[in-house]
Amino acid sequence: MASNANTSRGTVPAKCVSCDRSMDSPLFCAHCRTLYPADDVSHFELFGLEPSYDQDPEVIRRTYLNLARAIHPDRFPRAAEEVERLSERVSARVNRAFQTLSDPVLRAEYLLEMLGGKSATQDKNVPAEVLSRTLMLREEIEEAKASDDQESLGRLRAQVGKLCEQTLAAVAELARRLPGDEKCRQALRAKLNSMKYYQKLLEQL
Amino acid sequence: MDETETILGIDLGTTFSLVAYADEEGPHIIRDETGEGRLPSVIGVVPSPEGGKPQVTIGWTARNHAVENPRTTVHSIKRLIGKGMDDIREELPFLAYAVTAGPRDTLQVEIDGGRYTPEEISSVILRALRERAEHHLGRAVRKAVITVPAYFDDAQRQATRDAGQAAGLEVVRIINEPTAAALAYGIGVREALEHGAAPAPARTESGHVSLPQPTYPQGPSDKPANASAAAQTVAVYDLGGGTFDVSILRIEQGVFQVLSTAGDTHLGGDDFDREIIKLVQREVQEQFALPIDSPTTRQALRGFAEAVKIRLSEQGQANLELDLGDERVYRRTITREEYEALIDELVERTLVLCRHALRDAGLSPRDVEQIVLVGGSTRIPLVRRRVEEAFDRPPYTALNPDEVVAIGAAMQASVLSGAATDMLLLDVTPLSLGIETMGGAVGKLIVRNTTIPCRATEMFTTFVDGQTAIKIKVLQGERELAADCRTLGEFELRGIPAMPAGLPKVEVEFLIDANGILNVAAREQRSGKQAGIQVVPNHGLTRDEVARITRESIEFAREDIDAHRRIDLVNQVEFDTHKAEQMLAKVGERLEPAERERIERDIAALRKLAAETQDLDELHHALDAFGKSTLHLAEIGISAALAGKDEDR
Repeated sequence: MASNANTSRGTVPAKCVSCDRSMDSPLFCAHCRTLYPADDVSHFELFGLEPSYDQDPEVIRRTYLNLARAIHPDRFPRAAEEVERLSERVSARVNRAFQTLSDPVLRAEYLLEMLGGKSATQDKNVPAEVLSRTLMLREEIEEAKASDDQESLGRLRAQVGKLCEQTLAAVAELARRLPGDEKCRQALRAKLNSMKYYQKLLEQL
Repeated sequence: MDETETILGIDLGTTFSLVAYADEEGPHIIRDETGEGRLPSVIGVVPSPEGGKPQVTIGWTARNHAVENPRTTVHSIKRLIGKGMDDIREELPFLAYAVTAGPRDTLQVEIDGGRYTPEEISSVILRALRERAEHHLGRAVRKAVITVPAYFDDAQRQATRDAGQAAGLEVVRIINEPTAAALAYGIGVREALEHGAAPAPARTESGHVSLPQPTYPQGPSDKPANASAAAQTVAVYDLGGGTFDVSILRIEQGVFQVLSTAGDTHLGGDDFDREIIKLVQREVQEQFALPIDSPTTRQALRGFAEAVKIRLSEQGQANLELDLGDERVYRRTITREEYEALIDELVERTLVLCRHALRDAGLSPRDVEQIVLVGGSTRIPLVRRRVEEAFDRPPYTALNPDEVVAIGAAMQASVLSGAATDMLLLDVTPLSLGIETMGGAVGKLIVRNTTIPCRATEMFTTFVDGQTAIKIKVLQGERELAADCRTLGEFELRGIPAMPAGLPKVEVEFLIDANGILNVAAREQRSGKQAGIQVVPNHGLTRDEVARITRESIEFAREDIDAHRRIDLVNQVEFDTHKAEQMLAKVGERLEPAERERIERDIAALRKLAAETQDLDELHHALDAFGKSTLHLAEIGISAALAGKDEDR
């Protein structure tokens, strides 16, 4: 994307150090296939995207498949061991970026931390009502499981699903306002922390 | 393509193994002289008739003589590979051969006083496949792609790779069986397999099947069948001899992206057989107060149960009859319904795993557009019915479930040789990876179903002043407590610069490579030098052990394949005719005199041929014919063995 011309590419040169031609991706040279670790480049930039919450999943997917085709270790058969190691590392990097960008919760969290918000380990704040509701639901789930009460389990599944949905909507709304002010970032952090509690519940169901 | 760069595709199965390769025309299964692609994954060590050096037999020969040599015939070794004693306790009662614990949480099989690792046994099978390929291709082959169940953990994958190395093969990639099947399905070999494999493969003069390959990619301009088509979501349901896997994939523009996988490395055809074995053992005990559990009967019952299972896939009922000696005959009819009730719970377990895989992929059964069945056990009607119910769609059954994995492996081999450039596999790690933290909890570093290669880093430090080594326990599994996960192994970080406690900053990198195998690297950051730290794994085979197996392989290195094949065949003739004579002496009176005389004539004729002929194919066919002509005798022999011979317990 044209807007990328202005953004910093960290340690990645604008020209390939091997063949001196200009590079479209911070990860690899399309001409001579030299790979770059691109450790300091954001997930968004790797995928040629603006750093914002709203993204087109189809674009992310198509970009991912094209990147994978260029950098996967299978694409470097008979290469020297260092090249193989580097392609593993770069692939791991792209895989993680894809996982993060295609999941709305992970994407919001990544964006928050990228724009100065605190990480989950730095700010563990969860609203008290979320904690008590989670505890209550967990008990109900365990009870229903113990008595193999399928009807209650179905109802609980729907209930937790609804909570996830509502929380995700709140996450999206706050994430769209990023970078926002400190209050906005704190609110988003709390919503993301709550989301993790609900997702854990959903896993148990 | 560079001739020396042929990479084989090998399906190393629990029950059967196959080898394939791909050339400009596409992938080919390499078959034996009789046109059979499957090699039973069985090896036998038998005393030579003259009391000389014991012989190693592989494949059909070993399988056919399993009942006579119960303690020296090793089958289903895949269920032991990469496992420790604690993992296989439930397995032991069903194995006729002896298994003991080896060093570093490994297993060893005891045969005739010798101890062999599962890697060593597997390498014998791999070597036989390699030699089959070399014989067919007329040149040495040094590289292979080997398939493993998707749900294999790190230790099982490492062990499989070591087995390949011990067989003289560089394992350029370990790929997952369901993914290989999807590759074969998706790339358009589909049509060729449908027409080529059922009912009988079309043979060329050289004895291998050539699949018609109009749609196989030959270059960048030659797009695979699905390249232009929209993305397709496929579930591969792979129920083999010993393992079950289900993988959900998205196939799009030549990229085969695994979305999720689930499975059980101890659920397969062997378990279905065991339900019949347990039924027979229980009823014989009830009716005759007779325990039938000796190594001989275990081996015999295995073959018996498998035959009953196969019959019940084709017919509504099967008759069971066992002559137990002293005029005691166990006799009953088992209907398909009865059998289905016995295995229903096992089949249900596979469906639960299908639901897990769907959930992890974020899909519902409706989203799956095709269900591809792989593995011999998917021939069971109940399995097909249940899968159809679960996905609300008839499964795709046109592929030959025995051969599709090897075909896919050969196709991935052609990617890795650089010949095929427009397809790509993106697979996932089946199990979460974590490290043991304080108090025996698990700190997850990589969650299951993450696309590989994937990487995580973690910081470690020291607890004591001057400490120069740190131990890290790495685990694989989904449970919260370390004790409930499989310990993948302990790594020791050595060479940390001596500093006050807590000061060193050791960054440890955990990288799961494209084989699904973990690589651990570490560096200390505080010392400024980012010193490389030695990572020493404390589990599995050491490099020295792999080298030793390679050197002292059970089988012998082959300089001249033909000369060796001749020796094998002549030995086999000697062995089979000797065995037939022994059986004639024991149970010959139960045959019609005419049949007895015919067998005696056949023995003499086969021996004469073995001594005189130069045509090895002729000898091979004669040996096969002899096997068939003495089948009746062998059956009586087995029945007699079952009847009384429990002395080798």
